[in-house]
Amino acid sequence: MTTFFDQVKEMGLKQAAIAKVDEAAERITAGMNVGDIRSALRGDEPRRPNPRLRPHADSFWFHIRPSFYHTEVTHIYPTFRLGWLSTFMFVWETITGIILMVFYTPSPSAAYSNMWNILSNVPLGQLFRNMHRIGAEVMVLVVALHMLRTFITGSYKKPRQFTWATGMILLVLTLLLSFSGYLLPWDQLAYWALTVFLSGAEAAPAPAAVNSNILLILQGAPSLGAGGLLRWYLFHVLLMPLILGIFFFVHYYKVVLHGFSLPPGREEIGEDTAKRVPRTERTYFMPDIFTSELMWTAVTTLLLVAGALWFWDAPLEHHADPIVTPLHVVAPWYLSWSQGWLKLADKTLVVGFIPLLMVSFIVMPYFEVGKSRRYADRRLGLSVAFLFMAVMFISNWMGSPEYRVEGSPEMEVIQEILPGEGAGTMLAVPYEYLTPGTYSPGQEIPGNPYLTRALEEYQAAMGRHSCTLQGNPELDKCKSEGTGRYSNNSRNTAMLDPISTLTIEEIQPNLSTLTLRFEATGVDLDWTSWRHADSNYEEECRFVNKDC
Amino acid sequence: MQVKVVIGTIAFMLTMIILGFAALREPARLEEFTLAYEGRSIENGARLFQNNCATCHGVNGKAEECYDSAGNVVGCKGLPLNTASLLCGDKPSRMVTLGWEGTKGNFVQNTIAAGRVGTVMPTWSAQFGGPMRDDQVGDVAAFVLNWESDAMCGVEAVVFEWPDSVDDFLADYAGDAANGEGLFLTYACSGCHGDLGTAGSNAVGPWLGEIAVIGGDRIAGTSAAQYVYESILHPNDFIAPDCPNGPCLSPSAMPPNFAERMSANPQDLADILSLLLGE
Ligand code: HEC
Ligand code: HEC
Ligand code: HEM
Repeated sequence: MTTFFDQVKEMGLKQAAIAKVDEAAERITAGMNVGDIRSALRGDEPRRPNPRLRPHADSFWFHIRPSFYHTEVTHIYPTFRLGWLSTFMFVWETITGIILMVFYTPSPSAAYSNMWNILSNVPLGQLFRNMHRIGAEVMVLVVALHMLRTFITGSYKKPRQFTWATGMILLVLTLLLSFSGYLLPWDQLAYWALTVFLSGAEAAPAPAAVNSNILLILQGAPSLGAGGLLRWYLFHVLLMPLILGIFFFVHYYKVVLHGFSLPPGREEIGEDTAKRVPRTERTYFMPDIFTSELMWTAVTTLLLVAGALWFWDAPLEHHADPIVTPLHVVAPWYLSWSQGWLKLADKTLVVGFIPLLMVSFIVMPYFEVGKSRRYADRRLGLSVAFLFMAVMFISNWMGSPEYRVEGSPEMEVIQEILPGEGAGTMLAVPYEYLTPGTYSPGQEIPGNPYLTRALEEYQAAMGRHSCTLQGNPELDKCKSEGTGRYSNNSRNTAMLDPISTLTIEEIQPNLSTLTLRFEATGVDLDWTSWRHADSNYEEECRFVNKDC
Repeated sequence: MQVKVVIGTIAFMLTMIILGFAALREPARLEEFTLAYEGRSIENGARLFQNNCATCHGVNGKAEECYDSAGNVVGCKGLPLNTASLLCGDKPSRMVTLGWEGTKGNFVQNTIAAGRVGTVMPTWSAQFGGPMRDDQVGDVAAFVLNWESDAMCGVEAVVFEWPDSVDDFLADYAGDAANGEGLFLTYACSGCHGDLGTAGSNAVGPWLGEIAVIGGDRIAGTSAAQYVYESILHPNDFIAPDCPNGPCLSPSAMPPNFAERMSANPQDLADILSLLLGE
């Protein structure tokens, strides 16, 4: 082996350097030199022997990828890139998650202030937190859609039953990962969502000895505390990703082994030709698939970054407090269906049914053995699938706060405009516009569009929960003086004849109280929130997912 | 494939531009969030104060307006917190009086966390067996400190030179017992000493209904007027023997800062004296 020095002597500096770069490129790509890369990018025919196949033999990351695909499966249909996207989201979550881990301590005394530290002291901390959180939700969505597509194209059928089974396990792990992360900020939202869910585990249809210990196993103590947080943290950053990683490789190994299933119409019924790809129908990984994946990586990253920066903000409520139960405990949307079921059926029944459902999904391909993957031959199967989806959507809606037993009307008004958690309409009014005084719903404040808007919302909320203002003869009086009464009885939970006012009072430099006063038959309530000039609730409201 | 390379490159560049934009905005954003964190801490503190402290320190922290849990007016048992002697300057006079080293924030936070031994000021931090988490103690402390204002601290504190002898003092200020009755309530004397007309209504300190008579026997050679005068200005100089819950403790549970608080209105003390001594 000649040294670089010898080469320089032999061919001169320039030639020697070029040779060196070539050699380096060949090592890094495990087989392609600079010329090969350029020719691949130009789209030329490869030379013989084909250097573009060498990485698949020599490098780890490429050897787990197939060297060519059937051209039919490289279009958007039939995969919609959803399996690839699931993988991408997992990598995305891992990277953003590791960065957040650096600033997080799994302890009840530190976790919550860590979140504020990430927001207020870590450069780009808010962005990373939002990227991780939006990523978690997108991943659930993408994995579910991927499952849907493999069902619709009948890709779960022989020989891919086991691919489907491992996929189901991946779905469950994805849900658990997303949900276990939910607890970590240790705010009210997190604490109560988890408390409610864990209490479900206690109702599992199992021997009493199991039930009485299950909470102990899941949270280390009779109630959620330091031990529980540590456990769920370890689930979230260690156990689940590890298991998910293992199952991912099994899943993907099976996918490559059997080849991507062709669009159903492309094959004879009962045949699986995915692995028999005629030369003319091959699309080589290098460079076509690879370029395409790089493009999708760039595009998805762009969308997620923009989403996390402008459109979607991760919530952070008050510090977790076991003594203060929030008005509405909300499950994340992807588990909302189970809350819906809890409203319909007995807890034990529901908690027992869910694992049963999971198992039946896992084994489904071993029982549903119809030969044809074609849509026309699977009318029944597809109908059942869509019926199931409809049931899930309805259950999800039933589990959401939209569908619930209404609280007392004055509490509903409060929840709509001055809630105990989150910004809400009133707190989102910039501080300098919170002029001290007493206001009535719907009052117009000249030169103060923010407060005027908030009072409009106030009036609307009062209208929803006390009366329809239309046709109320005292409406004008009510607007101008705040003394008029709303009178209506359009619903039986409505306030009868209420008077309500908002009082703003500055009680300290830069600190005001906002007090909603309700007087009605059987109601006499003052509800106070505090608002500091610097609290910056406005900032939250610039995101699309915040309701204010 | 060329199209894909172009799209990918554009997307990558846009991402970089967006990240650059975010990075530029970052210092200002961090500043905003730091302030927001403090602001919300004060808000939380306000709620905690209202629920836990206002019964003794008054709804506006001036130890003037106190309610029990049922909403009835009661005498305030605590010191005023919304006051210059606790909040103004780096070393407010309360810290000096109590010989506390360190910062003002520390002083307030630690007092809340640990309470004050020998007084009714409770321990709040869960570390010492109280009901609050540390972040909550931090929140109320932030709220108490937020009462500091230019309006309050801008004015020079009035320092009144209290004469040694009560007679010299009363020579300049003639007392008005009727006005003293109101002051006995607003200075929260009644919170500890109860109602002057009802023996046994006292909760913390001795009943004062007969102090005009027995005050003269406390210290040999000291008149009742002189004794009451000194008891109010310097509670620790002499500890009364009997409090409702056994012997009175030393240091006295009676706030030591009436001399300071009445500096602006010495007339108040004359009125209270007149009430207690029945002149
Ligand atoms: C049961 C009545 C009571 C309650 C409730 C109470 N305090 Fe006090 N507090 C006192 C008394 C009495 C003192 C004066 C102690 C002394 O004489 O040194 C005091 C003193 C203080 C001081 C020191 C003032 C100074 O000038 O030295 C602070 C600060 C304080 N309290 C804050 C609070 C806060 C905050 C709360 C609510 C979390 C609270 N207190 C609740 C009775 C109370
Ligand atoms: C936080 C409770 C508290 C408050 C408020 C308070 N005191 Fe006292 N006071 C005591 C206690 C305890 C004693 C007994 C210990 C001592 O002598 O200092 C006492 C003692 C006295 C004595 C001597 C009584 C005796 O029997 O020797 C007088 C006089 C007195 N207080 C007047 C007042 C006046 C006037 C006010 C209002 C301006 C007031 N106190 C406010 C707790 C309080
Ligand atoms: C973390 C979750 C998952 C990841 C990362 C993942 C990844 C992948 C990838 C990369 C493919 C290649 C084909 C394609 O892109 O569509 C694939 C195929 C497949 N996946 Fe998944 N998957 C996941 C979850 C699931 C789930 C929940 C199911 C169904 C229950 C499932 C069932 C299948 C099946 C049947 C195939 C074969 C499709 C075919 O050959 O056409 N996967 N998966």
